[in-house]
Amino acid sequence: MFHVSFRYIFGIPPLILVLLPVASSDCDINGKDGGAYQNVLMVNIDDLDNMINFDSNCLNNEPNFFKKHSCDDNKEASFLNRAARKLKQFLKMNISDDFKLHLSTVSQGTLTLLNCTSKEENKSLKEQKKQNDLCFLKILLQKIKTCWNKILRGIKEH
Amino acid sequence: MPFLEKVAMRRMVCSLPGDFDDAELDDYAFSCYSQLEVDGPQHLLTCTFDDSDVNSTNLEFEICGALLDVDCLNFNKLQERYFLKTKKFLLIGDSKICVKLEKKNMTCRKMNIVKIVKPEAPFDVRVVYREGANDFVVTFNTSHLQKKYVKVLIHEVAYRQEKKENNWMRVNLTSTKLTLLQRKLQPNAMYEIKVRSIPYANYFEGFWSEWSPSFHFRTPETNGTGETDPVLLTISILSFFSVALMVTLACVLWKKRIKPIIWPSLPDHKKTLEQLCKKPKKNLNVSFNPESFLDCQIHKVDGIQARDEAEGFLQDPFSPQLEESEKQRLRGGMQGPSWPSEQAGITPKVFRGESPFRCLAGNASVCDAPGLPSSRSPNGREGGKSRPLVYQDLLLGPGTTNSSLRPPFPFQPGILTLNPVAPGQPILTSLGSSQEEAYVTMSSFYQNQ
Repeated sequence: MFHVSFRYIFGIPPLILVLLPVASSDCDINGKDGGAYQNVLMVNIDDLDNMINFDSNCLNNEPNFFKKHSCDDNKEASFLNRAARKLKQFLKMNISDDFKLHLSTVSQGTLTLLNCTSKEENKSLKEQKKQNDLCFLKILLQKIKTCWNKILRGIKEH
Repeated sequence: MPFLEKVAMRRMVCSLPGDFDDAELDDYAFSCYSQLEVDGPQHLLTCTFDDSDVNSTNLEFEICGALLDVDCLNFNKLQERYFLKTKKFLLIGDSKICVKLEKKNMTCRKMNIVKIVKPEAPFDVRVVYREGANDFVVTFNTSHLQKKYVKVLIHEVAYRQEKKENNWMRVNLTSTKLTLLQRKLQPNAMYEIKVRSIPYANYFEGFWSEWSPSFHFRTPETNGTGETDPVLLTISILSFFSVALMVTLACVLWKKRIKPIIWPSLPDHKKTLEQLCKKPKKNLNVSFNPESFLDCQIHKVDGIQARDEAEGFLQDPFSPQLEESEKQRLRGGMQGPSWPSEQAGITPKVFRGESPFRCLAGNASVCDAPGLPSSRSPNGREGGKSRPLVYQDLLLGPGTTNSSLRPPFPFQPGILTLNPVAPGQPILTSLGSSQEEAYVTMSSFYQNQ
């Protein structure tokens, strides 16, 4: 009897704790009417796109980040959450104030609309610290834009 | 009493729910509006107390939430207004604006910066008169055309005649150009016009902007329209008289000229013959009435036969019924009388080569000699074959002055009787050269009509 109770006390709860993030939903998308994205986020993404000058060959090599994380079906919010947190890392770069302002608007605005859980935050910050180049940023912005369009298109169809 | 118990008591006394909070809210009620991109990328947030009598000496405003990279920002104070000029508005989500007295929140309100937007006032209002189009083109400018966020606005144009106060006419539009028709304005009057804007309720919402500076203009007099009136008046008068003339001519010439063309009437044999025949002299007795020729010697035929025929004719002078057996043919020179099948179209060319007698077209007008019984004794006529039959020339020429009719015929026309057949059938079917006499009774024409 002691061995059985010991198993239930020390075995199952940790298992539940480990499996709980997998079972629970990641994010809840707010602003599904697309107003916030079209009037605020997209304006700043376009400004950042115009401010970034990069080599045309940049887009040919897709970083590993996008191989691991993509805007798949039912995972759009999760991808945007990771992408928005990735943007925050670029704030530490030596960039102008206006550039930082646009980056902050896109990053924080996306996170505000997604309203995700806090556990995701620590993981994404740890993973991709080293990928801080403008080429990656350009691709990231395009992916974010594409994923938002996919979300809004899906909402309109339904 | 222990310290904690004293604090709890104090809190219970001083912070009674209901009355105290409501009073604070009423004293420090405030309202705010935002203006985006007023100075480059910087936005402006302005708040004021609703009660202008509030002692705002130690009061401060603070905004928290929906800010970039910071949690809260404090307002600046300028006289009785509190404003915050910053680029750090996220423009997504709600913020909390609080009135603080010595670091203590007196009252707070939850606001969304994008829902309290007050656009900048339009400017450069211009009114241009277009003489050719007889209208006024109103144009104005707004700084929001160059902005990134609040780009789409609804503009309200208000205009009035200066003498008439508070009689503003209002027009809403989304573009910066408006056309006012001259006919909707008073001529030779001064007008005042101004414009204001409000965000188009898509994502950004808010309040009306301040009015633009007014623009004054004067409408022209009606001389411009008067110059064109004489030309129009002349054209209208000429048109009226033309129409009246045409109507008069139509009425006058209707019966004689127009109606015969539009609605031609069937030819009247009698009238046609009368028209064709030359007008006889006064003493001539031109008539188709057989009774008028009773006193005249008509032809030299067998006296008895002639008398009998005359008597028979007198007894039944207007007999329209002719027997088929009494059809006679004219001799010889009757040139192919073309008896058309129609009744009205009978145009027999009944004449001889030597005969001065002419039966002209129009009717089967081998003139009926009154006193010639066309339906009697056909056999006896052949006896007079060699004798000329003298018919009264009903169609006398102008040279004839004798009152009595002379038989001008040297030939011997046969009796030409008209068979009252059904319409469409030729009336005279067999006319041979052996016929010496031809009698045509005018009564048959009446019947065939």
